[in-house]
Amino acid sequence: MTAPDQTPTSNEVVLKVENLVKYFPITRGILFQHQIGTVKAVDDISFDLRRGETLGLVGESGCGKTTTARTILRLENPTSGHASYMGRDIFELSRSEMRELRRRIQVIFQDPYASLNPRMTIGDIITEGWRVHKGVVAKPKQRARVHELLELVGLNPDHINRYPHQFSGGQRQRIGVARALALEPRIIICDEPVSALDVSVQAQVVNLLEDIQDELGLSYLFIAHDLSVVRHICDHIAVMYLGKIVEIGNEYDVYDNSAHPYTEALLSAVPIPDPALRDKERRILLEGDVPSPADPPSGCRFRTRCWKAQDVCATDPPELVERGQGHPVACHFPQVEFARP
Amino acid sequence: MTAVDTYKKNTIGDRALDPSAPLLTVDDLHVEFRMDMGTVKAVNGLTYSLDRHETLAILGESGSGKSVNAQAVMGIIDTPPGYVTRGSVKFRGAELLDLPESQRRTVRGERIAMIFQDALTALNPVFSVGWQIAEMFRIHRGATKKEGFERAIGLMDRAKIPMARERVNSYPHEFSGGMRQRVMIAMALALDPDILIADEPTTALDVTVQAQIMQLLADLQQETGMGLILITHDLGVVAEVADNVVVMYAGREVETGEINQVYHDPTHPYTLGLMQSIPRPDVHTDRLNPIKGSPPDLMHIPSGCPFHPRCPYAREKCVIEEPSLHEVAPGRVSACHFWKEVRGDRA
Repeated sequence: MTAPDQTPTSNEVVLKVENLVKYFPITRGILFQHQIGTVKAVDDISFDLRRGETLGLVGESGCGKTTTARTILRLENPTSGHASYMGRDIFELSRSEMRELRRRIQVIFQDPYASLNPRMTIGDIITEGWRVHKGVVAKPKQRARVHELLELVGLNPDHINRYPHQFSGGQRQRIGVARALALEPRIIICDEPVSALDVSVQAQVVNLLEDIQDELGLSYLFIAHDLSVVRHICDHIAVMYLGKIVEIGNEYDVYDNSAHPYTEALLSAVPIPDPALRDKERRILLEGDVPSPADPPSGCRFRTRCWKAQDVCATDPPELVERGQGHPVACHFPQVEFARP
Repeated sequence: MTAVDTYKKNTIGDRALDPSAPLLTVDDLHVEFRMDMGTVKAVNGLTYSLDRHETLAILGESGSGKSVNAQAVMGIIDTPPGYVTRGSVKFRGAELLDLPESQRRTVRGERIAMIFQDALTALNPVFSVGWQIAEMFRIHRGATKKEGFERAIGLMDRAKIPMARERVNSYPHEFSGGMRQRVMIAMALALDPDILIADEPTTALDVTVQAQIMQLLADLQQETGMGLILITHDLGVVAEVADNVVVMYAGREVETGEINQVYHDPTHPYTLGLMQSIPRPDVHTDRLNPIKGSPPDLMHIPSGCPFHPRCPYAREKCVIEEPSLHEVAPGRVSACHFWKEVRGDRA
């Protein structure tokens, strides 16, 4: 029996990422390529994802959130580190074991227009996985199962023979969810699942994801830049900056008691949809742009834009450890006062 | 004084400007696109006005007509297939819609400037940013190359692009997303326009960069007194900067009013639905309350009120009769037959 077949018990860690590192080489030359540097896309990150839980990975573009997800799926080979699914190291699985794992970890993509094949009916799109993973659903039962799945995601089962272009953006994202669910995954990696959708439709998809999670006990790795949606849907949130996790904790830890200056700045930049609160919140405007991940600053990577930076920040990279805030934070000078009662 | 500093005349072409008239008035604007597959009614009756120092937000989802409205005001709709079929756009009382193209060109950049969502596609990749900014002075003001470049450096400084003098000869791809947006802002401000239209200026940017750009726009507006039209789908951004807001749905204006009133006391079910469906960054929300369905196809806009298939207040009247704009309070309109009910439910 292989580990990926086991059903996780409640609150069990289904995905454990330890010291994951992914560097991309920068090369020069066409015939005689030589490496002239490395992009440190993901640099030593660790986190746990438990059953039935949603872990949010947030940060700005280029911070490494999508590379993390791609490396966990082994769409990229890790430079070093471990990721284990229910105790089995993903990076040591054989090809056939890897196929079984991919069934258990499914992905929902950002762009519902680009991620569905325009020449396949939605019935074909949903059953495609079963052609690779034989035995998930027996052939005679497939049609009935597609009907069930379409109903589960709130689509009309009579539309099974329609093509993606006949659906709106929100409906296409539902098709993407149905396709992911077809293989009975334990984990779904949601890479910006609602950011391409209209505001009035986003809430529908967010609610759908929550309902399915409750019903099936799924775990989500939720990658997004919309911090309002993340606060709503995630149980735990990891804030990333230049390939590192700078702060990790639950909703109240990260949003209401943020201890890392980057988290503070990031959250203060999120506009609050209430004009009465205008000017009441202190906005921290960061200077300049994110430094290049090919040449990150020494010590703490945020120090070049940090108003608290001192000499020690340039020499010692701060560890992501608990520093009296009740949750781990990678800063030498974390915010100390508590707002929570 | 060089030629670059010519004062703006108080006429547009042969039309006199009335200094007491509002900066911009748009009245009952209709725009449609006649395509092979049918006619897309992109804007169906839009009315608003803008004054100096004012920030007006036009809030709507994709396909609501918010960007087409801006293109009509700028006069940059391709005809065919796009036609402005009805309505008026006046700058200080002077009608712009029937101006000949040669005179219309003097309005763009000088009077009304625009910045776009995607600065990388809006900028020309084969010319340096300095050249592109200087183009404004060369074409509109007959400046020399050298004068133009000096001006461009000054504008890049104003848009807070660090090391402007060193970077004036760089190309758009050498800038980050936020810096490119600053280049566009510099270009838009070149001729000191009276109105700046910002079409989703921060949608492609990260949230910390968005905050920087919105701050820059606010500072520049403070400095010049220009009127700012902010076109966006982001309820948060609107809440932070707008004085007044026009909410659009399926090409129609559904609600207009002062920002606090619209957010705290919506009188249209669509506005109310939007407010209730979004999560907030500052407080915990248990369950989102979405609007059912999805926005209509503009080739097949529902009969009566276009929002009726998604509206919890809809009844027979809404299917048959298109609601007119009801004045619910001074300066506030709602396009809902049952606006009193929508409002009453909140009280």
